[in-house]
Amino acid sequence: MDFSTLLAQAALNGLVIGTMYMLMAIGFTLVFGIMRIVNFAHGEFYMLGAFSAFFTYAQWEVPFVFCLVIAALTIGALGALVERAIIRPFRNDELSGMIATLGVSVVIQNAAVVAWGPTPRAMPNVVDGVLSVGPFTFPLSRLVVIATAALIFAVFWFFMQRTRTGRAMRAVAQDADTALIQGIRVNTIYPIAFAISVALAALAGALMAPIFSVSPFVGLTPMLKAFVVVILGGLGSVPGAVVGGLLLGLIESFTATALGSLVADILQLLLVILILLVRPWGLLGQKEA
Amino acid sequence: MHDPRLPTTGSGRLPGSAAGRTWAVRLGALAALLAAAALPHFVSNQFYMHMANLALLNAIFTMSLGLIAAVGQLSLGHAAFAATGAYISALGALHLKLPPLLGIAASGLATALVAAILGKILLRLRGVYFVLVTFLAGQVVTLVALNWESVTRGANGLVGIPPISVLGYSLGARAQFYYFALAAFVGVFILLRALMRSQYGRAFRSIAENIELAESSGIDASRYQVIAFAIGSGIAGAAGAVMAHYIRYVSPDTFTFHESVAYITMLVVGGRQTLTGAVLGAAFLTPLPELLRGFVSMQHIIYGAVLVSVLIFLPGGLASIGHRIAKMTRGGRPRP
Repeated sequence: MDFSTLLAQAALNGLVIGTMYMLMAIGFTLVFGIMRIVNFAHGEFYMLGAFSAFFTYAQWEVPFVFCLVIAALTIGALGALVERAIIRPFRNDELSGMIATLGVSVVIQNAAVVAWGPTPRAMPNVVDGVLSVGPFTFPLSRLVVIATAALIFAVFWFFMQRTRTGRAMRAVAQDADTALIQGIRVNTIYPIAFAISVALAALAGALMAPIFSVSPFVGLTPMLKAFVVVILGGLGSVPGAVVGGLLLGLIESFTATALGSLVADILQLLLVILILLVRPWGLLGQKEA
Repeated sequence: MHDPRLPTTGSGRLPGSAAGRTWAVRLGALAALLAAAALPHFVSNQFYMHMANLALLNAIFTMSLGLIAAVGQLSLGHAAFAATGAYISALGALHLKLPPLLGIAASGLATALVAAILGKILLRLRGVYFVLVTFLAGQVVTLVALNWESVTRGANGLVGIPPISVLGYSLGARAQFYYFALAAFVGVFILLRALMRSQYGRAFRSIAENIELAESSGIDASRYQVIAFAIGSGIAGAAGAVMAHYIRYVSPDTFTFHESVAYITMLVVGGRQTLTGAVLGAAFLTPLPELLRGFVSMQHIIYGAVLVSVLIFLPGGLASIGHRIAKMTRGGRPRP
């Protein structure tokens, strides 16, 4: 394999995991920006999305588009319930809210072990075949992931910018009290924001299920990466999550090709700790007052 | 320094009743200690002894985490310090033939030193940012333990770690180790209690309550936070080393993110405000999952569910139940 093919391969893989990190980080940062909650259960919703796709697509053979819709809706609804029942009591207590999400994470992960067993399951690709451009060949299954993630992000962005609810969410993120005075129902915005956040995680899980395997433990790495991305991009910043996610995916893919993935992981974590110390508000985020 | 007849700043109790209660508490503590010392004579089941040992060690981990929480910071990397201590003492014993007791002391000092240096840098962050950075630092330790195979033997871990011996007398058996763990527990308890009652403890509490106010009153918050973080993490390092010499094995799986979460759970369930809370949490949660032995996932589910329910319904933890009952029986009358 010559050098340019290796680079093209690394770039494609980087984009695939980068889009996944992007979807994870957007949801994570959205919930932090609006509700000031660090959601340690975010990875578990990714895992549930992966299982949802596994059952609907691999076992019941539902068309993949509908699998994505089902995953987003069911897990989004579950997220709204979790917000209502568990997160809401900690509205003014960031630290206790975060500890509560740790508890939620433990419960969901182990409920999945009890229900579906710990063994990883493989899921078939959504499409087969390759796309040849000049000397390069790209598997279609990867390209589909990138395209779908881009589409999901476009829908999300349109929702946030152009709909009433999206605008209300941005207003609450800026200042919840002022938003309340303006007649925005903060109590309905919070569950919606949480539902959208975990639905994005579920979509990431569903998209990645054919590429990685599906097991109750697949959520930890994406969550860790979401932390990393969000620290890079700034807690609460959606553009930061997009740029940070794609960048992290690409950097990771190239360093892993050059140094091996464990070393790449350690370097990445150290880099992030450094950034957190020098610029706690992230590379693109705004300094908090 | 401080007249014992005056009410202490935190409690607001009347001096007379406080003195009466202090004696009751002292007698109760003495009785509990005697009962604990006699335990091995009544319990012959090895498994129950093992549970008692783990509960004592977990209480040490939780109390030391509580010390860091007492300055208003939550460490999600507590198990990483335990792992560091465990590896240091294990490697010392295996390669340098270092006596375990010396190794444990060295582990405690080394992790306290590391924590002091790290704390100087990391404690500039507060609230969720500090939690995130300790979480990530914990992940780094796990990854290094996995990856640095020439020293840590990677995922296989270090086996054949010698048991603790005191004056040539081996504490390998569970009942013997129990006395060591009990002594360590009592030592840490007394140390932390004295610390919390000293001027340091008062500074800690004022920082946790309102850091801006504490700083504007001339308390160097960063310095006290570094002190609490270094002592708490050093105790965790030493206790991690004790654990390594007890189970005679250490691997990257011995102290992970999940253990850090377990210590937080014990602290929250027992009660974040007091030292007794940490002990109650460890005593309650260590044996609880054993009701469902062999079904690990159900244990974790119970841990998570207990954690969330206590946070929502009993924010003061088990330690606050007494207060709650007292409040209810007094029928809402203002406290004397």
